[in-house]
Amino acid sequence: MIQLTNVSKQYAGRTILEIPELTFESGKRYALIGVNGSGKTTLLRLMAGTLQADCGQIRGVPLADMGYMPQSPYAFSFSVRKNVEIALQKSTQPAEKALAALAAVGLEKLAEARGDKLSGGETQRMAFARMIACPRALLLLDEPTSSMDIKGTDQIENQLLRYAAENGSTVILSTHSPAQALRLAQEVVYLDQGKVVEQGSTEQVIKHPRMESTRLFLQHWRL
Amino acid sequence: MEYLIQAFSLLFGSDPELRQIIGVTLQMSLLSTSISSLLGIPLGTLIGSSDFRGKKWVQRVNNTLMGLPPVVAGLIVLLILSRSGPLGKLKLLYTVTSMVVAQVLLITPIITGLTANLVSLRAPQIRETTAGLGISPFKRMLYTAYDCRVQFISTILAGFGRAIAEVGAVQIVGGNVQYKTRVMTTAIMQQTNMGHFEFAIALGIVLLLISFIINALVQKLSDGQEEPA
Repeated sequence: MIQLTNVSKQYAGRTILEIPELTFESGKRYALIGVNGSGKTTLLRLMAGTLQADCGQIRGVPLADMGYMPQSPYAFSFSVRKNVEIALQKSTQPAEKALAALAAVGLEKLAEARGDKLSGGETQRMAFARMIACPRALLLLDEPTSSMDIKGTDQIENQLLRYAAENGSTVILSTHSPAQALRLAQEVVYLDQGKVVEQGSTEQVIKHPRMESTRLFLQHWRL
Repeated sequence: MEYLIQAFSLLFGSDPELRQIIGVTLQMSLLSTSISSLLGIPLGTLIGSSDFRGKKWVQRVNNTLMGLPPVVAGLIVLLILSRSGPLGKLKLLYTVTSMVVAQVLLITPIITGLTANLVSLRAPQIRETTAGLGISPFKRMLYTAYDCRVQFISTILAGFGRAIAEVGAVQIVGGNVQYKTRVMTTAIMQQTNMGHFEFAIALGIVLLLISFIINALVQKLSDGQEEPA
């Protein structure tokens, strides 16, 4: 279980995240939804440890058994296969596992291509292959399909559901799309201006929002 | 025009002093650039890819040293290596070694600064990605260095260009001793003062040729980096 208590983060004198209390249960899939600048990425980065909170505590993040896919993942100039292999340093047979992960995201034909020559969508798929190449207790995914077409998005969503079910992983992903949250998450956290406005089961929050700002955000989407 | 013809006949002739000057120049520049690269590239990668306490101060000091006037570098090395200096017993003053030391003092901050700058452009994205994969900071540095390898060569060549064209420091610590520490730049100065323009022009042509080759290499490496895989 991941627990955040009185966590806040400021940037340039502005509070960008302020969370008195938030809990993520193990083995569940969560979606963080909200507009740009609502604090989704900051929350993920704080949990991943790539950003330090100004105050508060974050407990229960399995840092040694976690995968974090940032919004703009970096692709090194070595091969796509090697780009995935670097995520498998403690595993046996990294090459085989990397190829299997690449096949799962539909990149097997580009395994020997240079990583830095991939398109934006392909880079995201490769970064997702890094995430699913080995079992992890926690996946933190920051808009994992934002540069992908519908086919690619569908493929990644199916792989994510399969992976989470097989490994019993906790998944916390951020997305702009409530439709994607409906497809992937069991629970939704709606953020607005760095604050958790509403949290609950995906069906309840997206189809029957209690708060006015959640309703305003969702009315732009024809669900 | 007459000087130019004489310069070319000198270049294609067998003047022993001219060949010796070119040889000493290349020896000094290659050695100082190699040492500076071995020091500056790891240091620059460390500064560019990491966040640590005092990083801004380290960068400020390095940026100051990047603009170190060659004559000041020469003076510092002269005081250290002179007979009454702390390393006077080594008797290195007016040798190629002393010129290499002075050049290392000049070029290392340049290679460090250029390396740190180019690494820092990619560092945030690499740090975010590798931290999310549990990759150690040391391996992150190695991967970063690998990805910047072509730019590193450009940085080394920029250092070499600075080394081969430098005159103030090598004049002070090398003394422009004939057949010993005379290099192209100090020789051009001296030959010009003496009115031997054909010799100075011949050396100038060699310097320009080396500069052209360096630029062509940098250009080719940059183009190669842009080619599709």
